[in-house]
Amino acid sequence: MIRYTQISGEITELSDLPFWKKAGAVDLAYVGYGLVIVTLVVASYCLGSLNLLPHNPDDIDLELMMAPPLTPGHLLGTDFMGRDMLSRLIVGIQAYFLPGLLAVLISLVFGTVFGVLAGYRGGRSDTVITYINNLVDSFPRLVLILLVIAAFKPDIYYIMLVVGLTNVPVVASLVKGKILFLKQKNFIEADISLGLPTSTIILQHILWHNCRAALIIQATLGMAEAILMETSLSYLGFGVQEPTPSWGNMVQAGANYFMQGKFWPSTAPALAILFTILGFHLLGDGLNNLLEGKRDA
Amino acid sequence: MKLSAIRPIALVLTRELAITGFLLLGVSFVVFIILYLSPGDPFSVLLEGQLSTGEARAGLREALGAPTAWYSRYLSWLANMLTGNFGSSIRTGLPVLSEVFRVGFNTLILTIGSLIITLAIAVPIALYSAVRGTNRISWPLTMFSYVISALPVFWLGYIVIYFFTHKLGLFPLAFGFSGGDQKYRWLYMLLPIFVLGVGNGTISEVIRFLRAEMARVMAEDYIRTARAKGASVWKHAFKEGLLIPVTEMIASKIPFILGGAVIVEQVFNWPGMGRMAWQAAQDRDYPVIMGIAILAAVLVRMGSLLQSVVYVAVNPRAAEE
Repeated sequence: MIRYTQISGEITELSDLPFWKKAGAVDLAYVGYGLVIVTLVVASYCLGSLNLLPHNPDDIDLELMMAPPLTPGHLLGTDFMGRDMLSRLIVGIQAYFLPGLLAVLISLVFGTVFGVLAGYRGGRSDTVITYINNLVDSFPRLVLILLVIAAFKPDIYYIMLVVGLTNVPVVASLVKGKILFLKQKNFIEADISLGLPTSTIILQHILWHNCRAALIIQATLGMAEAILMETSLSYLGFGVQEPTPSWGNMVQAGANYFMQGKFWPSTAPALAILFTILGFHLLGDGLNNLLEGKRDA
Repeated sequence: MKLSAIRPIALVLTRELAITGFLLLGVSFVVFIILYLSPGDPFSVLLEGQLSTGEARAGLREALGAPTAWYSRYLSWLANMLTGNFGSSIRTGLPVLSEVFRVGFNTLILTIGSLIITLAIAVPIALYSAVRGTNRISWPLTMFSYVISALPVFWLGYIVIYFFTHKLGLFPLAFGFSGGDQKYRWLYMLLPIFVLGVGNGTISEVIRFLRAEMARVMAEDYIRTARAKGASVWKHAFKEGLLIPVTEMIASKIPFILGGAVIVEQVFNWPGMGRMAWQAAQDRDYPVIMGIAILAAVLVRMGSLLQSVVYVAVNPRAAEE
């Protein structure tokens, strides 16, 4: 049996093969790498909160400062105070994990509500929501966060609140676009003429069956953004403060030794950031290609 | 240009200007709300440890002639701003607007320069992979763009400073905005512009968008017709496949590049708006950062104004909608 679906104006064939069989190797590699990174992040978070670390991340060893990687006992070497890099990198996840989830949750919940209002109701609520979206898009995010920091206090949860709220327009326009597409296909009209209650149409037919994949993808991208934002703010000195490790403040602390040619203490966390962000981005893109049937690479 | 080509642009320009004004009003309101909700009100500092009841506070406001209700406070603040009075910095006491304008030009150079770098990297890769599809050359380039976009921009800045300034001595480290040889001032600017252009985290997204748009246009019937009759495909595809997507990307990426500028200015000691915003956030100098936020929003809105003008200039029918 062959089903047809319309994606961005073109009729494409959807065979009944499961999606991993018809997927390209590149997408599978992207998703695979992304899942490895997500697993590592979750595992690190668990290890960190259970205190199962190779070393105490705050243990200062003045005998062994700036040790290179693969030093016995310190797999990834030590930083400028002789603290174990690996342990600090693992614990550093905690700076992002819950705040990042909070930011993603805020953007998904508000974005979905706004998107449904704009797409399903249309009319005046659409105008208002488009206006709000343009308004939020007008601010450079980092400047808005600095304003909030200046007005309130540098707290990671305030920062993530702003990150989440500024991501609402992205999610809202995504959901709205989906609904408009379904409306164009007379999908919703058919639902209404069947006499289904509005809650069933919106929750089950629109959100669950048609927006699920897009929202998951948006969540991974949002997580990447939250990490990058926390890193930037840590670098600027507004994020997590020493001695509590976060990847951003580790890069910044290590940077003082950069000009002496000692790259490692700042490069290790920078690479951790790089591979993690890359993982979330590739996961989002790979899932986009697999689940939404888009192929642009 | 014929009059018939100018009319739709003028139509859209007036409409967009009205929308922009309305949006900037909203921007000022958001900034006001943040400041209104913040705990550090000058009156609470004045009254610290004395009269702490809300009634006494309101009484003092009234006695000093400051408006009490939030809407009248907003209106008087807005009226001040419209006459160019953004207040003065808490730290230096200098008027905010002239201070922000003094450094704003540096940020403008940095932002526009790095936008050009971003596009100079993204456009060829996007065009190549749109026309040729995924092959042995375009796939590594795409992968490279992903890696570049995931790189923390400040670390890239350190690497570049270390190699180009410290090791090779190609570029001076101290930025000659005051003193120094003014003739070589542009040389100091190259590194930060390059770092922000490469590392602002938008390259992979820009490439994907431009490639998808170009590939979509290349599949259109009119391109096939052009090819069949031997006309230049490039000439036919340029407007819809490149010009419109590029202006769209410029407009939507300006906020990200301005955000990245905050960090790059910090790394390179670039005396711009971002550094000023950072300093202001450190000192909790909110009048300054408020001025910067509003000015940045003006810049962003200008970008989308440009986008709609280009869109209508290319496709005059859009003005009728």
